[in-house]
Amino acid sequence: MSVIKVEGINKTFGDTKAVQNVSFEVENGRIFGLLGPNGAGKTTTIRMINYIMPADSGTIHINGKEVSPLTQRMIGYMPEERGLYKKMKVGEQLMYLAQLKGMESADARKEIKYWLERFGASDWHAKKVGELSKGMSQKIQFIATIVHDPDIYIFDEPFSGLDPINSELLKKIIIELREKGKAVLFSTHRMEQVEQMCDDICLFNNGRVVLEGKLREIKQKFGNNTVLLEFEGDSSFLDELSDVRINNRSTNFAEIRILNGQDHQEILKKAMAHSIIHKFELVEPSLTEIFISTVGEDNIKPEELQ
Amino acid sequence: MSWRQIFLVLKREYITRARSKGFIISTILVPVGFAALFGFGILMAVWESDTKFEIGIVDETGVIFPALQQINEERYLDFTYLSTDSLRAKVQSRQITGYIVLSEETIVNGKNPEMIYTGAGGLQLLGSIRSDLREAVREEKLRRADVSAEIQEIFESRIGLDTRRLTTEGEETDDDAGFLAILGMVMGVVIFGSIVGYGGFLVRSVIEEKTNRIVEVITSSVRPIELLLGKMAGVGALAMTQIGIWLTAIIVMASLAGPVAGMLLESQSSAMTEMSGEMAEVQAELPAFLDIPTVETSIIVYFVIFFIIGYLLYSSLFAAIGAAADSETDTQQLMFPIMIPIFISYFIMFQAASNPDGAIVVAGSLIPFLSPIVMVTRIAITDVPFWHIGLSIFLSVIAFIGTMWLSTKIYKVGILNYGKSAGWKDLGKWLKH
Repeated sequence: MSVIKVEGINKTFGDTKAVQNVSFEVENGRIFGLLGPNGAGKTTTIRMINYIMPADSGTIHINGKEVSPLTQRMIGYMPEERGLYKKMKVGEQLMYLAQLKGMESADARKEIKYWLERFGASDWHAKKVGELSKGMSQKIQFIATIVHDPDIYIFDEPFSGLDPINSELLKKIIIELREKGKAVLFSTHRMEQVEQMCDDICLFNNGRVVLEGKLREIKQKFGNNTVLLEFEGDSSFLDELSDVRINNRSTNFAEIRILNGQDHQEILKKAMAHSIIHKFELVEPSLTEIFISTVGEDNIKPEELQ
Repeated sequence: MSWRQIFLVLKREYITRARSKGFIISTILVPVGFAALFGFGILMAVWESDTKFEIGIVDETGVIFPALQQINEERYLDFTYLSTDSLRAKVQSRQITGYIVLSEETIVNGKNPEMIYTGAGGLQLLGSIRSDLREAVREEKLRRADVSAEIQEIFESRIGLDTRRLTTEGEETDDDAGFLAILGMVMGVVIFGSIVGYGGFLVRSVIEEKTNRIVEVITSSVRPIELLLGKMAGVGALAMTQIGIWLTAIIVMASLAGPVAGMLLESQSSAMTEMSGEMAEVQAELPAFLDIPTVETSIIVYFVIFFIIGYLLYSSLFAAIGAAADSETDTQQLMFPIMIPIFISYFIMFQAASNPDGAIVVAGSLIPFLSPIVMVTRIAITDVPFWHIGLSIFLSVIAFIGTMWLSTKIYKVGILNYGKSAGWKDLGKWLKH
């Protein structure tokens, strides 16, 4: 069953069409990735789902209800711009945020205690957030997002600015939530993060959805036509290849997308003539490659994908 | 709109601010400062009666000194038997404050007598000696002119002016025009200070949520208007708490200060003069600033009403400024147009103290944004027709609806607008959204 149903929403800021005719559905027990370069309209869409901003037109339903203050309580939201009150104590702050989400103080107290213990942060209860390290306050931010045990979780660029430990922790939380049958939506412009986690994806570019569906199916559709090549020696042969697109090139590695049905063995032969091959593998294209081939190479500014 | 959410925001705003060091310190410091002021005033009064100035009189006429002594037994000493040299020595060694040689010429030709003195006592002493001398000399002149008792009486009579106010209910009350003018201005200044001070509080509070980046988390739970109202109410409640504490402390101190000062002065004067130190006399000697007339309850009620109106009207605008600015330094430019009416009303307030029924003052007391400060001053000083007050409140409420509409629109967009302060153009765009 789809818990988030977005139908034909639009949003314009002045002359900028931030979101145009966007539709997608997010289902229970699945992780949904909202992908696209910076400025593609992901955050605006997320804000509209969270009822922080109204859509100019179109509808958004959460658990079958049109977005409203009531549906806000069904969602746990961690924005890209994260923050907490620096001068407030951890416990009080979590209590305040939980109460704003409609929790009674007794339940909230129990949940806060549980999560602080689980993250090994019980000692921080009476500490001011300003006294915590960045990593610690990120953990508090996670708790603030999930403490009211909503059905739906939305993370906007969740991994940007996280230290490696917290990145892993968040991945664990997200996967655990899926196992509990919750719906998770997160946005990112770092495609490689999605490959490992997402069940469904929705690709944004310039305010429009350019590709949407189950990640597995999308990848299959693009076929096994990408070569991962690890080699040693002269790499100039890569420049001589025609009808290919080379992503992720470095001194001894290249990800080569074969276009126009060229024979991959030809590439292997050329490579062998110039260098020693350590690995030659035929794989499905990466999401970055899928994104590029969907929107067209000319429509992408390379820095957007960094 | 959910009252629960507004209340939660209010509670957080109130509790975290009330616990902050700055708030606690300023809450304590003001009454302490006031106590110091009171104490200083009382000390001044005590010291003042403590110092006595002795003026030696060399009375060549033989008639002026008795008259002077009648006026002030303590101050004037008869040194007619001493030479000017020994008097000079006495002044030089500070045994007496000064001496005056009174010659016959002063009475006959009106020649100014001359006082040789240490320079102590200041203008007040000189003034009182001058008037004492004038009185004594005039009395003697009148006696010599052999005028009738009737004329003597004419000269002695001093006409003052007693005043009583007649209210519309036909009640006569003691006139405290001077006190009420001061009260009116004090209330105006309190409202002025509160609007600027707590308005600034609110601006900082809104900017803090923006720079902390918590505002997006909050707005995923709370409507912007709930957040706005909650914050306004929270800071407002804080303002009322603080001013309430200050007023209570000041009233308690003022009511204690009278008797305390009375006791101090009583022991002082009984020791000095051995007069029968009746309390009534002592009370009459109390410094004027301790003699506080009673204030009508209606004035206090109106003060509270206009305080709230003024705060609401301006605080909604201040919150909008906070939302539009990205950092505190950027608020100056946006703050300017709001400060203009505040300062205009501040200046009209002084006008109101001297001419509470002038055209500008009446207009100012009706126009929203000016009325909170001007009307309160006017109400304290003069009898304002009820329809003026009613109209003033009505217009302010209409204006408040307008500012709330405006501020909510700016606030809604502004709080999610990071990185750059909005200019006037941006604000216009936001309003059109």
